[in-house]
Amino acid sequence: MKKTFTQKTVTPLLLSLVLAVTACSSTPVTTSTLDQARTDYTAAQNGSVAQYAPNEFKAATEALNAANTAAANRDDLAKIDQLANLAKTKIATAQEVARTKQAESSLANSKDEQERIRLQARTAEAEAARRNAEQAQRDAEAAKARAEQATAATRDAQAQTSALAAQLAELKAKQTERGMVVTLGDVLFNTDQAVLTSGGMSTVQKLANILRENPDRTVLVEGFTDSTGSTAHNLELSQRRAEAVRAALAQAGIERNRVETRGYGEAYPVAGNNTAGDRQLNRRVEIVLSEAGKPIQARR
Amino acid sequence: MSPRLTLPALFATAVLLSACASQKAPATADVAVSQAAVENAAQAGAAELAPAELTSAREKFARANQALKDRDYKLASELATQAQAEAKLAQSKATSAKATSAADAVQDNIRVLREELDRANSVNK
Repeated sequence: MKKTFTQKTVTPLLLSLVLAVTACSSTPVTTSTLDQARTDYTAAQNGSVAQYAPNEFKAATEALNAANTAAANRDDLAKIDQLANLAKTKIATAQEVARTKQAESSLANSKDEQERIRLQARTAEAEAARRNAEQAQRDAEAAKARAEQATAATRDAQAQTSALAAQLAELKAKQTERGMVVTLGDVLFNTDQAVLTSGGMSTVQKLANILRENPDRTVLVEGFTDSTGSTAHNLELSQRRAEAVRAALAQAGIERNRVETRGYGEAYPVAGNNTAGDRQLNRRVEIVLSEAGKPIQARR
Repeated sequence: MSPRLTLPALFATAVLLSACASQKAPATADVAVSQAAVENAAQAGAAELAPAELTSAREKFARANQALKDRDYKLASELATQAQAEAKLAQSKATSAKATSAADAVQDNIRVLREELDRANSVNK
């Protein structure tokens, strides 16, 4: 009975004891601090801490190994915590050193980039300054060209004006309030006819030259006679003589619409009609040259 | 005490004493090293940039010093080791804060420069 009791109770007791001992030896001792240190270490491993801070990472590894060994040897928990805390501190140090190295390398890159951008900015400034200078140069050249053109135009206008003045002087033109007036005297027409003499043709030719060179001017050709003969005849003769001048100008290449004609007969005498000399002065054709681009005022 | 026991007892005492004496020198050295580490951290600006770590390191160093005076060399050595590790952390934290803010400042500067450059380019175009 006693033997049976012993057998029945001691065997499970032994068994559970054995189990308890095995459980203890197979379950590693750990603390929350050690767990935390291991987590920190894994994070550091996953970052590039070993690469950037090899010495500090090695020291951290050794510190964590010491804590792990203490845990494996089932040292007391305070000792394990102390070693785990040391490991945590060293892992954090390695993290900070790695962070410093990364910041330093980023700083070096940034400084290079900063230099590149500064260079770009300087290049852009120089480029802008060059473009501005070129534009200013072009502007100056354009202004100079315009000034030269204006000067040339003024010179041309002056030359034309003085040429005209010379030509008109040659034709003995007189300045009146209606414009320059060239008078073709009686001697330039055959007697009582509307045919120009060679002298008259030569004068008309010179007038044609003036009109060609001054395309913005027109002429009014006015015919006059003395008081001899019928009024109708005189009107007709004066008109025909004016027309003869227009025909001669047309022959010299002047458009007919630039030449207006009037026959006034014996009206508007320039002298008396008593002497032969005075009557000859009255037999005439007056050619009024317009101002540039302006119409000729009608005779009052 | 019997003469048979006297010799071993004396021997044991000598061993103990020498063990104590041999622990004194390394502990003193450890405390000195931790003091240097704390000073380095302070010089690196840890008081401002890693105040918690520096305070803890100073406190451990003070306790290590006290343990040294109390001739508890083992404790002195342990505390000195912790003080040194924490001082190093404080120093590296201060250094990394400075390096990071320097890098950030240059990055900011680059951003401003880029904006200016883009603006200048768009004006000139």
